[in-house]
Formats: sequence, structure tokens, C-alpha cells
Amino acid sequence: MKHTSPLIEQALNPADYFTLAIDEALRLENMPGNLCGFGLELDKQPDVSELCTRILEFMQQFPEVTASLQQQGRRFFWRQRPEPQQLFYQHHCSSIESETFFFQTTISQIINHHAPRESLAPIEFHLLTGPNRHALLLRWHHPLCDARGAELILKYLCTESLEQRALFDQPNTPSLVQAQLAKYSWWRKLRFFWQAYRYIRRLDHYRSIQHRQSLDAPKRLHALTFRLTETQTQQVAEHSRRLTGLTGTSLYYIGCLMRALHKLEPDAPGEAYLAPYAFNLRKQKALTPLLGNHLGTLFAQAPKALLDNREQLFAHLKEQYAQTLKQQLDQAFFPTMWAASFLPLVKHIKELRASYKDGSERSSFWFSDIGQLDSVERNFFGADITGVFHTCQVTSPPGLGLLMCKYRGQLTLNYNFVEPLFNETWIKQLHERMSHELLGQ
Amino acid sequence: MKQQLRNFVFQELIFVADPNSFSDDEDLINAGLDSMGIMRLIMFIESQFGVTLPDVEIDPDNIGSFNALERWIVSHQA
Repeated sequence: MKHTSPLIEQALNPADYFTLAIDEALRLENMPGNLCGFGLELDKQPDVSELCTRILEFMQQFPEVTASLQQQGRRFFWRQRPEPQQLFYQHHCSSIESETFFFQTTISQIINHHAPRESLAPIEFHLLTGPNRHALLLRWHHPLCDARGAELILKYLCTESLEQRALFDQPNTPSLVQAQLAKYSWWRKLRFFWQAYRYIRRLDHYRSIQHRQSLDAPKRLHALTFRLTETQTQQVAEHSRRLTGLTGTSLYYIGCLMRALHKLEPDAPGEAYLAPYAFNLRKQKALTPLLGNHLGTLFAQAPKALLDNREQLFAHLKEQYAQTLKQQLDQAFFPTMWAASFLPLVKHIKELRASYKDGSERSSFWFSDIGQLDSVERNFFGADITGVFHTCQVTSPPGLGLLMCKYRGQLTLNYNFVEPLFNETWIKQLHERMSHELLGQ
Repeated sequence: MKQQLRNFVFQELIFVADPNSFSDDEDLINAGLDSMGIMRLIMFIESQFGVTLPDVEIDPDNIGSFNALERWIVSHQA
């Protein structure tokens, strides 16, 4: 499928620069850049002809998805590319024996695809089919959109009614980060800036626990997906409700991962786990904006001494979260994000990742709770969606990211890890402990 | 009070196509109010109405609808 775009000239917003800096960090580590994936597992092959038609319509409605990311001075823009862009690919395996291997290797190749930033497609749709398995993988270059945007793109594709699809058609929706920044006076921005700086200094008082350090050997992203049953998912919700209340589901998952990691490798160097995680600025269930990143940052930190006591750990994380919101520290990072977008990417990366205390990595792991995916329809062009999975490239250290979501009443855990820093056996051991933690065992 | 709550929820937290047709008894959690939204709503209520809402009372019975929220706030205003 090929398409020639109309003229495109779209500047990045401050949250896009944040993801672009991560892209640069990954490229400096000889990784492919900030590539993410949103996968749908299907019970049969969807109607390919209908799917192609809908993707073509999507490209016409949102031409930025065919653009090239180009630098001009220190600023970056999505610009029209000279050549037409292919967005849809099909991969087929006819052998039952090699089907599992085919799916693993093809998905791995797609998420580990190396290409210069300017020529990399902002988004691609890959349909994988075999005798028994079928999947659609949406791969995107993170500056283009965030995970909620990717979910909205899939929802757009699944929406049958043309009238309903037109509701997504708001390509000129302003950046929600910019809209937030516009609410503050110059002085308030300055106060926020210093507030954020002091907050990070306080977090950096503890050296972050690291389970692995980087290495020079060739590295590659690998991902493993696990799903809890509906009954287990309900049990997790009950434990979460008891320990972190209605307001702290993500914190429950983060605390469980901290404890699981600590139990697996209690002697990992460092003084406290620190997990950055994003919150979305879109209203829940809003259909727009699709493109761009509309995120703010929060941090969950827990010193080692708190990890042995579940009640104490969750009470600490919840209180930390409440204080963060009370002191408006969540909003304090928007001016910082805006200012950092003017830095050279390498300096931006350093500000994001390096602890003020000793220059070591600030994040112990990456975490994202994508939430309830009820906006993705169950039917995908005639096929039933039986499960979902997510992937994201991770810098090393920490080399480990957990992406969680709930689909059809089942909690899905996607472990993204950098090989050979971590391997499948280690991740399976981690997941075993994580399941016990989630289920309160 | 209820109108202020409705304005905040629909302007800041959840998207519904027609807010006017969303009744005061309709389920806010089903409508998309998530954990972070609940936290922001509580912050808004505490600053707007000068009440302190106890953590242990944050449950669907008190947050499930606009009517429930109003009852909850009023019970702490006395």
C-alpha cells in the first residue's frame, strides 16, 4: 500500500522531545531507537482488503503518519517525505511446526528494526498469519504518539461507522502539554521549574537500585507476555483496593514489582527503587488527540528498608503519590519538559537519566500502566481479538520495562528486557515472584 | 455544588459525548473515571469546598455518581 502525502510541517511538542531524547539515547547504545509496539492477537485472519482500505483512509485523514522526522538546528519537525511511504506489511508462515518460531522472530525483527531517524516510518502495521496463529502489530516511533494514541489509532481502524470515525478527525488538536503550560504565568513556570529541580535532587539523595549495568556486547530487545486469569485478576484488584485504595492501582503494580525484584536479587547494588511513570493528559475515553505525546511524569521511590513489609511499602507509595499531587509536583515537570526541549539531545538525555548525586542511572526499571483497554473493539475486521501485548525499547541500564494493561478482564504483563543483560529464564523467575506479589501470596 | 463537580469532571477528567444527558446517578467509574482521576477529583473537592475527605471513605459508594459525591461532601461540611 503506497500513498503520497499532502504537504506536512508539524513541530514537536515538549513531551515529544522527551521521547525523542530517549530515541537518541537508544541509538547511542546501538539499539534501534524509541520503537514501540501494540499487538492484537486474533482468532483468525482478518479481512485484509477492508483493513488496507481503512489504513489508506487513516493515512489520508492523518498525513503526519507518513512523514519524515527531520532536524533543523535544535528543533525537529515532521515533514513530508519525497517518496511515498509503505505502511502495511504481511508476513506469512505456512508450517505448523515453525509457527511459534516464526511469530517470535518476526515480531523481534519488527521491534528491533534499525533505520536512520529520518527514513524510519513513523508508524507501520504488520499482519502476521500462520496455520493457527494470527496477529496484528502496530509499530510506532515514539515521538509520533504515545500508547494511548496507538490505542486510539486501533480504535479508529476498528470503528465501522464513517460518522463515528469522523469524530477522531481533529488533526489540529493542540498539544495538551502546551495547553497546560499556557495556563501558567511566567513566574509560576519559574517556580514550578525550581520545585521540580529540588524534587529531583531529593529523589537523587538515594542511589537507585540497578539489577544490571550496561555492556558493550550487542544488545537486543526481547519481550515476554504473561496473562493472569480473570479470577486472578479480580483477586489482584481486591488486594490493590485494600492496600492502595481506589486511587492507586498503578502504585500497587509498581510496589509488587519492586518487591519481586528485591526477592529475586536482594543484593542488587543501590539504596532505593525508583520508577518513573507517565500519566496521560487526555480525558478518559476521549477520542482525540491521536498524534503527539500528551504525558506528564511521576516518580515512585522506595528505599530498601521498606521493601520487606508490604503494608508499609504501599502506605509509603500512596502517601508519596498524595504528597506529589498536593504539592503539584506532577505539574511542576511541564516547564522543565519545555525548557529541556531546547537542549541538545545528548544533554537532554543526561538530565533525564543521570542522577545529580553521582551521575549513575536514575531509573531502576521503566513502568507503564496502560489501563483498561475497553476502547479497542473485540472485532477486528471479522476476526476476534483474543489478547493484546505491548513492547517498548528500553535503555541500558536499567534494561528492563514492565508494561501492564487489562483486556477482557485479564491482567496482561509485558516484560520488555534487553538481552543479554536479562534472559528469558530470569524474566520467568521474576514473573513467578511478581504473580505471588500481585496475588498477595 | 453538583454543577461545579460536573464541570470539573467533564472538562478535566472524562469525555462523554453529551454531558447534559449524563444523569447525576450514572456510574462515574464505568464512564471512565480512573484512579488518577479520582485523586484529582478529591484534590479539587478539598480545595473548592474546604473539606477534608478521609482516605478510608474513598470507595465506590461515595465516588460512584455525582449524587453520591454530593452526599459525601455534605456529610463532611457540618
